[in-house]
Amino acid sequence: MGYLAKIGLEMHCEISETNSKVFSSAANTYSSIPNSNIRPLDMGFPGTLPVVNKEAVKMALKTSIVLNCSQPEYMYFERKNYYYPDMPKNYQITQETKPIPVGIYGHVEYECNGEEKSVRVNNIHLEEDAASQDHLFDVSTIDYNRAGVPLLELVTEPDFHSADEAVSFLEHMRSVYQYLDISEADSKKGQLRCDVNVSIMDENLDENNPKNWGTKVEIKNVNSFGGVRDAINYEIKRQSKLKDNGEYDKVVQETRRWDEESQSTITMRSKVDALDYKYFVEPNIPKFKISKEWLKEIKESIPELAYDRKKKYINEYNLSEYDSNILVKEKSISDYFEKAVELGCDIKQAANWVNGMILSYLNYNEMKIKDFFITPEMLKELIDLIESKTISSKQGKDVFYKCLEEKKSPKQVVKDEGMMQITDENEIINIVNEVINENESQAKTYDSQNPKALDYFVGQIMKKTRGKANPSVASKLMKEALEKLVK
Amino acid sequence: MKYMNKSIEQLHNLLKEGKVTSRELINESLELSHKIQDKCNAFVTILDDAKEEKITDNLLSGIPCGLKDNYSTKGILSTGSSNTLKDYVPFFDATAVEKLKSAGAVFVNKTAMDEFGMGGTGTTAHTGIIRNPWDITRMCAGSSAGSAAAVAAGVYPYATGSDTGDSIRKPAAYCGIVGYKPTYGMISRYGLFPFASSLDHLGVLTRNVKDAAIVVDNMKGIDKNDMTSWDSSNINLTKSLTGDVKNKKMCYIKEICDINNYSNPSDELREHLENFMKTIEKAKELGIQVEEESVDQTLLNASPAVYVVISCAEATSNMSNLTGIVFGPRAEGNNYEEMMKNYRTKGFSPLIKRRFIIGSYVLQSENQERYFRNAQRVRRLLVDKWKELFKKYDAVILPVGTGPAKKLDGSKDILTKETQVLEEHLQIGNYGGFPSITIPNGFINNLPVGVNITGNCYDDSNVLNIAYALENAMPYKNQIAGGEE
Amino acid sequence: MNKKFTKEMVDDYAEKLLIGLTDEENKMVLDEFEIIDETINMINEIDKIENVEPMTHTLDDFEYELREDVIEESCSIDDILSNCDLHNGREIEVPKVVG
Repeated sequence: MGYLAKIGLEMHCEISETNSKVFSSAANTYSSIPNSNIRPLDMGFPGTLPVVNKEAVKMALKTSIVLNCSQPEYMYFERKNYYYPDMPKNYQITQETKPIPVGIYGHVEYECNGEEKSVRVNNIHLEEDAASQDHLFDVSTIDYNRAGVPLLELVTEPDFHSADEAVSFLEHMRSVYQYLDISEADSKKGQLRCDVNVSIMDENLDENNPKNWGTKVEIKNVNSFGGVRDAINYEIKRQSKLKDNGEYDKVVQETRRWDEESQSTITMRSKVDALDYKYFVEPNIPKFKISKEWLKEIKESIPELAYDRKKKYINEYNLSEYDSNILVKEKSISDYFEKAVELGCDIKQAANWVNGMILSYLNYNEMKIKDFFITPEMLKELIDLIESKTISSKQGKDVFYKCLEEKKSPKQVVKDEGMMQITDENEIINIVNEVINENESQAKTYDSQNPKALDYFVGQIMKKTRGKANPSVASKLMKEALEKLVK
Repeated sequence: MKYMNKSIEQLHNLLKEGKVTSRELINESLELSHKIQDKCNAFVTILDDAKEEKITDNLLSGIPCGLKDNYSTKGILSTGSSNTLKDYVPFFDATAVEKLKSAGAVFVNKTAMDEFGMGGTGTTAHTGIIRNPWDITRMCAGSSAGSAAAVAAGVYPYATGSDTGDSIRKPAAYCGIVGYKPTYGMISRYGLFPFASSLDHLGVLTRNVKDAAIVVDNMKGIDKNDMTSWDSSNINLTKSLTGDVKNKKMCYIKEICDINNYSNPSDELREHLENFMKTIEKAKELGIQVEEESVDQTLLNASPAVYVVISCAEATSNMSNLTGIVFGPRAEGNNYEEMMKNYRTKGFSPLIKRRFIIGSYVLQSENQERYFRNAQRVRRLLVDKWKELFKKYDAVILPVGTGPAKKLDGSKDILTKETQVLEEHLQIGNYGGFPSITIPNGFINNLPVGVNITGNCYDDSNVLNIAYALENAMPYKNQIAGGEE
Repeated sequence: MNKKFTKEMVDDYAEKLLIGLTDEENKMVLDEFEIIDETINMINEIDKIENVEPMTHTLDDFEYELREDVIEESCSIDDILSNCDLHNGREIEVPKVVG
């Protein structure tokens, strides 16, 4: 009997691109100095009140629109009450349950192993992060820098059927958050955290009938995409095995955690009753009317996302999937490429330069493209110089490096270095003859059927002109001369 | 008592004319503070090193006053009259405090209160019971008990207070003074220790209506730190006190004021309600039209439960930050839960512990609809009813409580169901955020009693003006406990 | 009124709030629950109460602006720790948190 896995995700993403936190005006930046980005609210001092960050709301709404969700007319917040040392107020301000979060009932199309998939989004909402704890030998310490950092929580329906799908979705969302300038979405920086829920059901039953669904197990706080993949696969296996053995009742609705060391999920809560969070609407934040004008403004500010850009590159630009993937990985790279194309660069050339020389340089020097000296305008200049045969493509590479070294435009470099390509046939004929004279015996035995024979002679021309001779002209003239000779 | 029994304007003129200095006023106020502390136990902290302030055109400059101890004061102990904060010294001022400071006010003491505002008797402060200066065997009501006692005793012309269910307006009545709670959001709540966020208001206790207007004019204003505050810069309360109330209309509520609604009224209650009707006559003499209106008894009877449920629920959540981890006297414990539990068990008084449990219960997911959400629904019904009245009337006028201040000796109000609404109706002013003011309107058994005037949101000027006119028609203005004037 | 209000139930609630109660305090809560429950029953008798919109905020139709995304300087570490009884360098210290 085969089983169908139903997997749902709760993806928490830290908004890293606002200046300040979501309810206080403390800086929203990472600091290695503990308790250095603090306003009184962040530590729950008596009498402090939350004040909502407009930019954070904007980003939440942007995401809501991209996820094809409905936005409410009025935005509310609510309190989720529970005690824990990393909670300064011992309640979290969120908008999980009532009345309506900033986005509900949406859907996302994403790619998994070359196929287009869709997942339903139950809701997206804005909330605040807790403080961070350090566990020392016999005490724990608390740093409130992270307390109050804005978080976007995305809850999907259990529409994923495999770990691959879930992880592809996460990668898709990471790209979305980066493209929307909402978050760096870097798991290593702890900006992405996931809760996963997994259940299995008999695969021949109707998935749409809730009666057929299995017992849902939640796995909390999985902090890497690899962890998500492993946790899901482990859980499916664990549940399947129990079901196979007729012990399905051992699968209980509970919360487990993913343990890296043992590579397994482990039961978390031993208490029978789950915590009651006593959600109620936050009275300190009046309901906020989300105007249609604002939503329109926000919608118009949404750039084309990676998923759509990739489709365009493949279908319209006829670039390969491989090249397209590389181009869309980072929005700033894709923007650069598109600007070059907009300026009139040959698409294939632009793609080659970006994916080849430019990315290599950036990676090697650990540089961001925004700090890269060669602008799309300069890239066009360079490509034009090659296309017009003013310089050869080999020279082009040299010019590239010289531009970066000397912070000059390509035209300037070519001028200063006197790198103009030699295309004048008369000039090249002289060199052709020179080369033939210097290699008389070899020239006499030239075999036009052997392509490699020509290469040697052309190579000699290039050597003599220090690469400046136009290769195709040189090749043509040399071939003619040699053929004439051997006749 | 040479100066502290005077009104703000009188003091301001004397200061401007150089007839007295800020220093002299402070000295007198401090001396009185110590005296009243012995008599009434009204203060948590007396600021013996209070510094004089420059006299400017601001009416408050250089004049001493008191702050209720749930107002955060930078560098000065702020306890909320709770052991959980018995050593807490804020590093920032409440916005209202900042505003009074920039007006040039001089703070001479922090007044004691019912713990965190969660009480109505003035008996639950961590420093002990607060006594009524008119009769020290009696309570001041609460929670702004200390502020009321101090102003009534003439320590200074005003003290700040907070009002979540009646905590400014009832103590004012029991102490024979003026207690004013403006529209919700008029004064920023930033820095005020919260009790119930949707019911908390800041306000003031004074001995006359004009002083109340002056102080609130200086405390109010939109604050970037409080999203529920609004821009009142186009409102000048002091200037609106013309005393002209012709063609104003008020109503009182039959179910609350009619003696026939009480099956076995005490003599005190009878007198109280008769006195109230005399006040109504005075209002009519001023040209105000006063009518009797009827409100559904079932709706009124539901109000006390609405208050308990909503206030306890919000309070439970608001006080969750009190764990001793970041501030407060840390307790021992082998793990964080024990540590937090010991701190809270020791630090909170029995009354508020009970309130928290009730609050927690009504928020529990399986109970919330029946208790909390229904209470919020009835809140809306009551508010809608009052707003309906405000379409016809400028204000609702009602007696405060069932009579004068009650005895402290535990002959406690056997809260009969009949008198409960009379005792608690002021809370409706909190439900809707309505501006509401209590002024003294008589004496029963030589103890002061008060009357309350409540109007529609944002209509503070109108409400104060009516109170101002009525006050001037009665002989209780500026009165001081002990009879000195 | 109900056996739903028991001493154990009250203790459980207190426990979850991280508050300890004496027996006397427990009894007082039980008594208060009874009273509140009675009045809540009264509320439930109000005609069509479930059709009324719960009032979550004090002022209706309140218009306001959201906060501009501008940083305010951090409070100093001295201020932050000025009321803290136990800190470890710049951080707040608590008993070791497990699980």
